[in-house]
Amino acid sequence: MSQIQERGSTHVYKVNKISKEEMDAMTARCVYEQPSFCSAACPLKLDVRAFMQAAAGGDFKKALQLYEKVAPFPLALASACEAPCEGKCRLGEIGDAVSIRAVESAVARFGEGSKLGGVFRMKKRKTVAILGADLLTLFLAGELEKKAYPVTVFCEQADLESYLRACAPFLSDALFPLEYKRLQEKDIQFEFDRRPDAALYEEIKARFDVRCASMDAARALFPAAAPVQELMFLEEEKLVCGESAGVLDKAFGAKKAALTVDRLAQNLDPRNMRGSEGACESRLYTDLSEAKSLRRVPCGEEGYTKEEAVREAGRCISCHCEECLKSCAYLKHYKKHPGLLSREIYNNTQIIMGDHPLNKAMNACSLCGQCSVVCPNGFDMARVCAAARRNMVSTDKMPLAPHEFALMDMLFSNNEAFLSRPQPGFETCRYVFFPGCQAAAIAPATVKAAYLDLCARLEGGVALILGCCGAIADWAGREEMEEQVRAQLDRELAKLGDPVVIAGCPSCAKELRAFSGREVRGIWDVLLELGLPAGARALERPAALHDSCGARGDEATQRAIRALAAQLGCTLTDTPYSGDRSPCCGYGGLTAYANREVAAELTDKCLERSDAPYLSYCMACRDRFARQGRESRHILELCYGTDAGSPPDISEKRWNRLSLKNELLQELWLEEPMEKKRDYQLLWTEEGRAMMDERMILADDVIAVMDAFRENGEAIEDEDGLLVARRRVGNATFWVKFRIEGEDAYRICRAWSHRMNVVKREG
Amino acid sequence: MAIEKNYYTIDPQGRLKCFKCGVALVKGKAKFMYLDNGFPVELPVCPVCGFVYVPEELALGKVASVERALEDK
Ligand SMILES: [Zn+2]
Repeated sequence: MSQIQERGSTHVYKVNKISKEEMDAMTARCVYEQPSFCSAACPLKLDVRAFMQAAAGGDFKKALQLYEKVAPFPLALASACEAPCEGKCRLGEIGDAVSIRAVESAVARFGEGSKLGGVFRMKKRKTVAILGADLLTLFLAGELEKKAYPVTVFCEQADLESYLRACAPFLSDALFPLEYKRLQEKDIQFEFDRRPDAALYEEIKARFDVRCASMDAARALFPAAAPVQELMFLEEEKLVCGESAGVLDKAFGAKKAALTVDRLAQNLDPRNMRGSEGACESRLYTDLSEAKSLRRVPCGEEGYTKEEAVREAGRCISCHCEECLKSCAYLKHYKKHPGLLSREIYNNTQIIMGDHPLNKAMNACSLCGQCSVVCPNGFDMARVCAAARRNMVSTDKMPLAPHEFALMDMLFSNNEAFLSRPQPGFETCRYVFFPGCQAAAIAPATVKAAYLDLCARLEGGVALILGCCGAIADWAGREEMEEQVRAQLDRELAKLGDPVVIAGCPSCAKELRAFSGREVRGIWDVLLELGLPAGARALERPAALHDSCGARGDEATQRAIRALAAQLGCTLTDTPYSGDRSPCCGYGGLTAYANREVAAELTDKCLERSDAPYLSYCMACRDRFARQGRESRHILELCYGTDAGSPPDISEKRWNRLSLKNELLQELWLEEPMEKKRDYQLLWTEEGRAMMDERMILADDVIAVMDAFRENGEAIEDEDGLLVARRRVGNATFWVKFRIEGEDAYRICRAWSHRMNVVKREG
Repeated sequence: MAIEKNYYTIDPQGRLKCFKCGVALVKGKAKFMYLDNGFPVELPVCPVCGFVYVPEELALGKVASVERALEDK
């Protein structure tokens, strides 16, 4: 049988197929990292989600630390802030917005302030002077003190108390002493009774590196002053100052001014390297359906008590978009939002030398496309992972091991087990039935019944192709192999007279439609037209219909299956995530081969939707649910009154395909199949068989080893008298532990394999 | 004589024998090779025919983990 060439070296350098731009465009669709709407509306960029979370947890110290990051005088700001954040709170759309400002005010009153200042803090060398007394320059003094500049304020007032009153006249009698104490504790120097006149200006020009002024002071000195607003800078005088509208705008002005001071202190142009400043738009998506407390906690004249503030903060739903993580077991497994995971996977494809840590994650995605439906922006992880796999294959960095079994299985389906024949009595046919490799592997009797039925009830001849549609190569990112399958199927379809394809599997239908250019119908559509065959029967209990990921976006197929189930007389129970939102059973994308842990989690996610028996229209789904112990039926089993029974192991899946082919060849086409006869007998132990299934070792691999042993007699004998023989088959060495039971009979006890080649070393 | 590094050593201690040659396996020099990497090891080897034995625990343990590591290079 054909074999797949293992890459020879890990030191291969080839050019990439995905561009950075392409990847950036894909990852930009994920809005997980977008700021919340409230934070985006805040020009100071307060992290409202983190702030509210801390406050709701009663951690006012942490909440205040977050608030002080943007507000050095938190009471002054929180008392009078215009709070555009509240207007953007999403709760406002369905109830009351969170009273963000009132919570801030409570946090500023009850929280323990940070003690960044003090004598031991290293000060910067460049000195700053501020002229005048207003709210903007008060905030600016606070910002600069936070940045560790030695700051001196020159004001007309006689003392600190009257200075603060002049800056923040709106502070209530209750709040004033608190903010006054805060000001006293800050490391800011004051020179009182200094009028901002030309003499003072000359003095500070000589004494300080950077000069700032309130707009009143600036105008007193330079009546025609027109500072650059974005920079808060009067360029001709190198004086930091600027206009401001409201309280929040003064806080924002102070921030911009502080950044300008920073640039000037470093002798840099204040225009450069400012980053993004001010409010912005958020593209975040928020699911409001789970928001609970819609009414705000009433606030008295004096503001919230501590307990009230905790309750109000607790109303914040902490807007995050996690639609995909909620529905996809794969993303949940990696605990990463798709924007981040995609970037990491892209970086993984760019590594030339050394470890590729994201191989496993890249190969664990089931490529089912569910995310593209549940994501409000249509983020498609399948596109990212499929592109990354193709890229890894084309640059010869893709390990063969995760997909080799599946790819070999595809080669088996399209070689030994492949069958393509016109209906007996026809040269060419109007139709061809393509049941799909999994149907033949899991429910061969159903496939046979369906084929005989189609032959009997359709005019013009129905050909049969047993094989794989190429989806496996596509999922593995092996474009060359996929092309080979397509060419093979194209040839066969042409020989059969370009018939209409009747697919038994939605994934095959999708794949065949994509490349063959021929009409492809689902067998479900044909059965709806013909009517149910005799012997069709419903499930006795209500069943949960599991939509196939192959039918995502294919409303006609989803509808046809429901109509067929109704004709059968099945009662379907409704499940969340049905139709286009259906999750993958774990087989898709070869997850079941590359990452069994994630595949199992995907299966569990499907099954947690309902306790009812599962009805599906993809054999892989049917198989995985049955393996998980759930009563699971394919709709064709019901249509044809067959029961595929308990799920076959990997060797039986091959044997089923081969014997279906041989049986049909004999019965319908009267051809004698080529069967290899063995002149010895293999007996299996249950333990051995289970071990083989778990370790992906086929009965054929064991037979290859035993054939070799029969020929060369090479084996090891252990202390218990058991023999161990081995043989290199393809890219792996298989070992079989067995007991000789009489003449020409062997009992298989254990089997294992490794991919490394072992050789004797001389010396 | 130069001291050679061995990544792994198993001494059969007379417990295994070669079915074909009828002699006890001995600790012998062998090499694992995978994706252009080689690892010298000492494994049970038949002194007559050179059969190198890879026990189940070794295949599923050390060998499998080295394989995974190399595959992701
Ligand atoms: Zn020997």
